[in-house]
Amino acid sequence: MGEKKDVWQGTLALMVLKTLQAMGPLHGYGIARRIEQTSGDLLIVNYGTLYPALLKLEQEGYISSEWGVSDNNRKAKYYKLTRAGRKQLNKEERDWEQTTAILARFLAPGEERS
Amino acid sequence: MRNLRAWFLRLGDAFRKQRRERDLSAEMESHLALHIEDNLRAGMSPEQARRQALIKLGGLEQTKESYRDRRSLPILESLLRDVRHGLRILRKSPGFTTVAILTLALGIGASTAIFSVVYGALLAPLPMPHPEQLVMVWLKMDGDRNVVSPGDFFDWKQQSAVFQNLVAWDEATFSLSVSDHPEALQTRIMTPGFFDMQGIPMQMGRDFAPEEAELGKNHVMIITHRLWQQRFGSDKNILGRQVRLNSELYTVVGVLAAGMPDRYEAPLFVPMALRPDQITHERHWMTVMGRLKPGVTLAQANADMDRVAKHIAGNYPSSNEGVGALVEPLKNDFTSRDTIRALWLLMGAVGFVLLIACVNVANLLLSRGTVRMKEAALRLSLGATRFRLFSQFLTESLVLALIGGVLGVALAGALLQVIVNLLPQFSVPTESDIRLNMPVLLFSLAAAIFAGVLCGSAPAWQISHGNLSGALKEGGRSASNAGRHGLRRGLVVIEFALALTLLAGAGLAIHSFWKLARIDLGFREDHILTFTLPTQFDRFPNNERMVAFYRQMLERVSSVPGVTSASLSTSAPVVGGSWWGMEFSIAGRPTDDSASKPGARFQMVSPGYFQTFGIRILKGRDFTDQDNAGAMRVAMVNETFVKEYLQNVDPLAQRIVVRQLDMSTMGPPVEWQIVGVFHDARNRRTRREDAPEIDVPFWQSPLPYVRISARTAVEPANLSNSIAAAVHSVDPDSALDHVITMDQALDEWLADDRFAMLLFAGFAGVALLLAAIGIYGVMSFVVAQRTHEIGLRMALGAGSKDVLVMVLGEGMLLALAGLFLGLGGTYFVGRTMNSILYGVAAMDPLAFSMVAAVLLAAALLACYLPARRATQVDPMVALRYE
Repeated sequence: MGEKKDVWQGTLALMVLKTLQAMGPLHGYGIARRIEQTSGDLLIVNYGTLYPALLKLEQEGYISSEWGVSDNNRKAKYYKLTRAGRKQLNKEERDWEQTTAILARFLAPGEERS
Repeated sequence: MRNLRAWFLRLGDAFRKQRRERDLSAEMESHLALHIEDNLRAGMSPEQARRQALIKLGGLEQTKESYRDRRSLPILESLLRDVRHGLRILRKSPGFTTVAILTLALGIGASTAIFSVVYGALLAPLPMPHPEQLVMVWLKMDGDRNVVSPGDFFDWKQQSAVFQNLVAWDEATFSLSVSDHPEALQTRIMTPGFFDMQGIPMQMGRDFAPEEAELGKNHVMIITHRLWQQRFGSDKNILGRQVRLNSELYTVVGVLAAGMPDRYEAPLFVPMALRPDQITHERHWMTVMGRLKPGVTLAQANADMDRVAKHIAGNYPSSNEGVGALVEPLKNDFTSRDTIRALWLLMGAVGFVLLIACVNVANLLLSRGTVRMKEAALRLSLGATRFRLFSQFLTESLVLALIGGVLGVALAGALLQVIVNLLPQFSVPTESDIRLNMPVLLFSLAAAIFAGVLCGSAPAWQISHGNLSGALKEGGRSASNAGRHGLRRGLVVIEFALALTLLAGAGLAIHSFWKLARIDLGFREDHILTFTLPTQFDRFPNNERMVAFYRQMLERVSSVPGVTSASLSTSAPVVGGSWWGMEFSIAGRPTDDSASKPGARFQMVSPGYFQTFGIRILKGRDFTDQDNAGAMRVAMVNETFVKEYLQNVDPLAQRIVVRQLDMSTMGPPVEWQIVGVFHDARNRRTRREDAPEIDVPFWQSPLPYVRISARTAVEPANLSNSIAAAVHSVDPDSALDHVITMDQALDEWLADDRFAMLLFAGFAGVALLLAAIGIYGVMSFVVAQRTHEIGLRMALGAGSKDVLVMVLGEGMLLALAGLFLGLGGTYFVGRTMNSILYGVAAMDPLAFSMVAAVLLAAALLACYLPARRATQVDPMVALRYE
């Protein structure tokens, strides 16, 4: 059973971790809305795709979940970052910066070509 | 790591489906509620709010589905689904399920039980630390392993470079007097360090110290945990306690921990202290065990010992010329080759039972194929892949086999109880621990999976790959699929071939046992009571005193009312005892080559020995009381001796030259005049040929290894008390050991062979039953399928006899084809079993034709029932049915 390693899966996980770091414990709907808002509604996405990603992160031990009550008295499942998740986030942030830096150099107006 | 963790969680979630499903639904519900609330706040109508929330989510079911895929392992889920489906299907036809499961349980149970014995006796590591370092060291004389002389042992110890330690021991019977009555106990006399070297733990106390191997310091003893409990009331303060042993005081210095040592034959241990004159290279009587240094291989150890043996041979050419040494792993050392072979053969036999069981279940599965064909066709047309169908049907048979396996393990537990009780003593090593442990259970699991795949794949393939359009068209009523019938007939043929092979093995075992039990033993075994006396090493200052002591004892035993004659000997037929393999020459004959002197079995007997055992004297005379120390040395030899060495001469005119045998040394050569020739009596395991034997009068050459035997006019067991009283009237400390009637001894003697025969016969019986059930099933099915045809035949004038012959003929054809195929198997079985058989050739026509007849009779009976049913077909009903 190979995992599908497309970019979106990876970035979504990173976004979830980052969101949880910024906002503290949050339910699935909240995470989805937050990602949508932060990306400036550019990433139009089915909220549904978030849940398998959350499950995967939980299975890997980066986040944990717990049933709680929302501001307006709704029962909801709250996700929060674990210590392993925090470490993973740091690592992925560094990796991402490295990747974007390399890509940026590639995509910058070509100097070698001229 | 993270992946592994996730994988395990997913694996776990596959089994917590319901709870996780509720959880998921609740989460989705809460998500939608939160979203709807937001939408309402944004001013949408309730309906629109719900719709938008669902759209944004991307569909409730779709989300759940992708979540589920992630949650557990889809392949596992489908497997679990198949298992549940399989269980449902199996529940729906309880008759089929019960028969199939019981059949498989029988096969797996029998295999598991025998494997437990094989594993415990042959495969399991010994329960000591680094068991691979433990070795037995033997002398190699004439290519055979032999016990060791003290001189060799001490030289080995000093000169070899590969051992951490070497210990030697001997066994004897000692009289232990804890209460009023002395008790004869098998005692191991051993050099210090035996337990420490092996790593056998002590309950309390210690192993013998090196200085306790010195005379005067050697009156110390170690006992097993069991003896401590049984004879010393688990005395916590036993260390330092003094106990009477062979009329002398010994101090207890150690008690072994409970467990393996409790299964030793000897429960009592004393140190071996040797006088300097006992340390020679000539008398071989020690058993030697060693622990190799870490990393030393057997080959290296043998090479080193070769070097040492050559060196010793250089120093002591007269005794050690051509004598080598042999290092063997301790493992299996006390299991005879015959037993090892018999165990593997039994393993093979149960393997056949398992195979036959699988074939039978495969046949059952195929017969259900008709019904399942329709289901398969339907599912296939609805889009299921053939692989999916195949794996589903295979899962079903695996479920069947695993349930059978669980039941089989339970059966094996019960069977093992029986087997362990039947298992003759000492036929497997005392170290072996025979029970259902982890490796055995793993074996059962493997056997179950093997059985499931074996019996399931052919039917599963047939169903999932058959011509299904036909199945749908016929509505699943009676698919007269010729291919499937061919397969079923083929399976019956295979089954009969397997059954014949197994039955042939059983036939050989039974025939061999029959011959063994009726063998001419060369003596009369009825009305004999025999027992041994403790070995009195240091009791007698000289031979005169020893002879007087035993003479008095023999007289007392002879005069017990009911005893018609009694004798004293170092050894006796069947029960054995002490005897010596001695080199000899015939006086007056040139000894052509000193290296290849002939050897014979040498033992001492009192007058009356031949009369007591009813051994016929063929020539000359018996020993008399006048053949004593003062008279001419005389000897009697057996028939084989005459045949081998005294052809064409008068044996009674010959003198044999043998070296004098004393307690610990070999004296000078002395001449023994042959005065009689006696009929061979069976001494050893009967499979071997008779050996030449020389008997000399005990009164002329006494040694304190004594067995007394009495022929009685009444039931011999009834006299054991009065005979014991007679012995105690001479010496109250002499305990009688191994008191047994010759009938009992013979019974024990045959125990190994009886055990193997019973198991073989039992498994063959099971195979016979399974084969009969198999052919019955197929023929019943054939008859049911051909009801229409049979009805037509009868309508056209065939009598019920014709129908009977037709069906029986078809069944017998299958059975005969199986038997023919099985002939190859019987040849193989005969060849393999040959070495454990007695007096039976590898291709034993009698045994083989008997088992073939039995198998055919079973087949005939099994076919008769469906055949009779065929004759009762009412043509009108059968034809209308179409």
